[in-house]
Amino acid sequence: MDRVKIYDHIVLLLGVFLMVGPLAVAFMTSTFDYVTIHKEGMQFGWGGEFLETYETVLTQQSGFTGGVTGLLMTQNSFILGIGFALGKIVISMLAAYAIVYFRFRAATFCFWIIFLTLLLPLEVRILPSYEVVQQMGLLNSYTGLILPLIASATGTFFFRQFFKSVPNELLEAARIDGAGPWRFFFDILLPLSKTMMAAIFIIMFVVGWNQYLWPTLMTTDESYFTLVRGIKQIMQNMIGADIPKYNEALAMAILAMLPPVLVIVIFQRMFIKGLVEQEK
Amino acid sequence: MNKAQFGSPWMPYMLLAPQMIIIAIFFLWPAAEAIRSSFFLEDPFFGTATYVGLENYSDALSASDYKRTAIFTALFTVLVALLSLSIGLMLAVSADRVLRGKSTYKTLLMWVYAIAPPVAGLIGVMLFDQHIGPLVDFALIFGWEMRIGVNYWDTGIAMIIVATWKQIPYNFIFFLSGLQSIPSSVKEAASIDCKSPNRRFWTITFPLLAPTTFFLLILNITYAMFETFGLIDLIVKDQPGNSPVTLVYKVYRDGFRGNDLGGSSAQSVILMLLVLVLTVVQFRLIEKRVHYN
Amino acid sequence: MRNFSISATLAAAVLAGPAFAQTEITFWHAMGGQLGETVNEISTRFNASQSDYVITPVYKGGYEDTLTATIAAFRAGEQPNIVQVFDAGAATIIGAKGAVIPAEDLIKQAGIDFDSNDYISGVRYFFADSEGKMVGMPFNSSTPILYYNTEALEKAGVTPPATWEEFEAIAPKLVDAGYTPLSQSHSPWIWTENFHSRHNLPFATNANGFDGSDGTEILVNNEPIKMHFTKAKEWLDKGWYGYYGAGWGDNQAPFENGEAAMWLGSSGSFGGLLNSADFEFSATYLPYWESVTKEPTSTFIGGAALFAMAGKSDEENRASAEFFKFLSAAETQLFWHQETGYVPITSAAYDLAKENGYYEEKPQAEIGIKQLSLPSGEFSKGYRMGFYVQIRDVMNREYGRIFAGETDVDSAFSIIEEEGNKLLSRFAKTTN
Repeated sequence: MDRVKIYDHIVLLLGVFLMVGPLAVAFMTSTFDYVTIHKEGMQFGWGGEFLETYETVLTQQSGFTGGVTGLLMTQNSFILGIGFALGKIVISMLAAYAIVYFRFRAATFCFWIIFLTLLLPLEVRILPSYEVVQQMGLLNSYTGLILPLIASATGTFFFRQFFKSVPNELLEAARIDGAGPWRFFFDILLPLSKTMMAAIFIIMFVVGWNQYLWPTLMTTDESYFTLVRGIKQIMQNMIGADIPKYNEALAMAILAMLPPVLVIVIFQRMFIKGLVEQEK
Repeated sequence: MNKAQFGSPWMPYMLLAPQMIIIAIFFLWPAAEAIRSSFFLEDPFFGTATYVGLENYSDALSASDYKRTAIFTALFTVLVALLSLSIGLMLAVSADRVLRGKSTYKTLLMWVYAIAPPVAGLIGVMLFDQHIGPLVDFALIFGWEMRIGVNYWDTGIAMIIVATWKQIPYNFIFFLSGLQSIPSSVKEAASIDCKSPNRRFWTITFPLLAPTTFFLLILNITYAMFETFGLIDLIVKDQPGNSPVTLVYKVYRDGFRGNDLGGSSAQSVILMLLVLVLTVVQFRLIEKRVHYN
Repeated sequence: MRNFSISATLAAAVLAGPAFAQTEITFWHAMGGQLGETVNEISTRFNASQSDYVITPVYKGGYEDTLTATIAAFRAGEQPNIVQVFDAGAATIIGAKGAVIPAEDLIKQAGIDFDSNDYISGVRYFFADSEGKMVGMPFNSSTPILYYNTEALEKAGVTPPATWEEFEAIAPKLVDAGYTPLSQSHSPWIWTENFHSRHNLPFATNANGFDGSDGTEILVNNEPIKMHFTKAKEWLDKGWYGYYGAGWGDNQAPFENGEAAMWLGSSGSFGGLLNSADFEFSATYLPYWESVTKEPTSTFIGGAALFAMAGKSDEENRASAEFFKFLSAAETQLFWHQETGYVPITSAAYDLAKENGYYEEKPQAEIGIKQLSLPSGEFSKGYRMGFYVQIRDVMNREYGRIFAGETDVDSAFSIIEEEGNKLLSRFAKTTN
């Protein structure tokens, strides 16, 4: 039995080293100045430039009016993450409620349309989506950034599964009490769904925050950049003629990963529950 | 089990409206547009279109690098899925068994899930950089001179490694949950019946995990084919040259970067059909699984 | 890093200007980082120099992103007044008849004098139509030149090569001195497009594509260039040439850190090299093969030009014309040239730089413009081909395969020709 235990610990330690190692190197390198990095490669240890680099990334102003900073990008990332998560939850809960708890003719038709959206990830319809958003004048706007992402019905399916698992007796009891659909929803279903809503919110927040392809296409106005979008900008500066600012690129990468990581670490249990529940 | 339901005539439509409207505008319309524009060659500025029938499709498929990209996408997908599933499973099995430090291990192993693919790509491309990357120095110890951006397979392997790395936590979480939901009575019975932990794993644990594995396989395939876009974009640094890319990346490169709307629509439709086929296969597999239960 | 105290200048401009109706125009560009700061500074100076017009520059990302954003905006009726379009996108924007107002027309309509002969010959033609009328206003123009590490060459006891034959003679000595003799940063631009121009070889039918996209075919599958790439592969195998992928920076880095003794880059790389190289360097013309031609001709410009979009009011067009005039002024050009290393586009600006003794301080800065002023051949004006971004992708891919030993030169060039022509005929269908 002991041999297995040692083996397990070794495996796990190697795993931790594999997963955490690259990030540790990235963080350490971000504390050096870029000329050193350019000459000597990525660094191990503490470079002492931590405060300067991170402050620069957060506050350095770019753009003609100097309005765009790392802080602004962080703010945009929050708007995208929270807006997307909230939008998704509200819309899919309403839709799932309709499908599960109402008898109506178009129910099957609507269900299949919604199902269809699961089949095609955004990436295969990315260019025409861009055209549509452009025709609607929604390029470089928060609405345009968030709405098309909500079009895939993963949330609806999730809540549908969840609502189906709610015992029938609750609805029957409510009806006997004379409750209509609104009362039932707000007084009974909603409180029951609180944990699920929180779990889904966390997952969707991370998904929204980490969006890359869609923001890359439809935001060319720097004031709408998210942190993750900003990474592409840094990369483009990296391929230019000057020495790339590796330290700032890595600092931005670290900043871009901080909020989602903190969220799932702090709310670990809820997050895992939400993730795993999707399977059913 | 029949669900008790309300009979209100207008309420369901009102509730469904937001979702359906968004789907109509941002899903159905673009999908239809993609299909329509795949049959035309368009002037990017004025939208004047020339009908070309299936030419965009034949041009796309006969392009000298379409086959190579398709092959790389397939290999990439299979390798990333298999590697990240295996490593995730291995870690989950060990994490399930240890008594001490379980939650620390769990936290440390799962947090990479929250990293965006392009961020992983950025860190990866720097770690593998020809001039400054420590991993290149490391490979040199084994006599392997990695040249990302120059050697096709060196770059491909770097992409596979980074993509796998990013996906391991996802699989780890699911497998660990799956393992932890196996009732302890089953585990105890198994350890009585079967002394070797290895045998126990393969004959009892793994079959119990089969549904989870199937589910994860499909998700991993979707991840590798589509969600790795950001990762690939960062590793090729905007200039694919002789570097491998995935089919999704090609759609972006030709359509968005090259302003060839008809051509990239045709490529998108081809991808759509591919996804459709994969999904049908997935559902067949799940049907079988349900029957087994 | 320079700080131009933009806020101070901007504040001054805002406070000094009158509060009533100024015509506002927008300018989308692809100049990031330090270049972007310089663009901002020039725009601020323009705004401060007069009180009728205000220009706002907006950085839209890389060249391809900027063009795509412009196309999308144009279709939505929201295009900017001025947009910066790069060489590979010239065919797309010029081929879209009615999308832009030719720069020459724009300026003349505003009643400003215009003489295309004011502009240096190597610069004038790339963004002009087949009759020589300037459609795009050259902005950031550069040309490929050969940089060399002075100390390295001294150590090996050699002089910089004027021809590739000379390069082959000095390469072994550089290797002995411990260097990789050569690296280069852009195989399509430097070793294909400008190869044809330097040797005055036709690059495409229809006068290199200037006469229109209908029936244009690429003429890249020819003996001289195949000979060149065969040699390049030999050099790679002998350690005389180092290939680091298709990325510009990846190939510049070895020169910057002293591994490569010579580097084919852009005349615009000069400013960046001053910061990053800690050795003395100089530059000379792009070498040519004596076996191909005894009378090498000039190269043409890379970089981008500014285009005035159609569909704007007369007032705004006048504003754009004034901005173009301001940009062409010798003082502005001198500032841009010194800050960025891009060549001055007018002879007046070039003369001003000479008068100021700029080239005595920095002789390397003059090489690019001197090369552009060399006698121009029939095929040295540049090219105009559609879907050129994709064609360059094919070139990069095939060259990468040649250098990796995955394919031979003949097959590679066959593929480039075939794919290129396929793309060109598709492009012709979109515009006709």
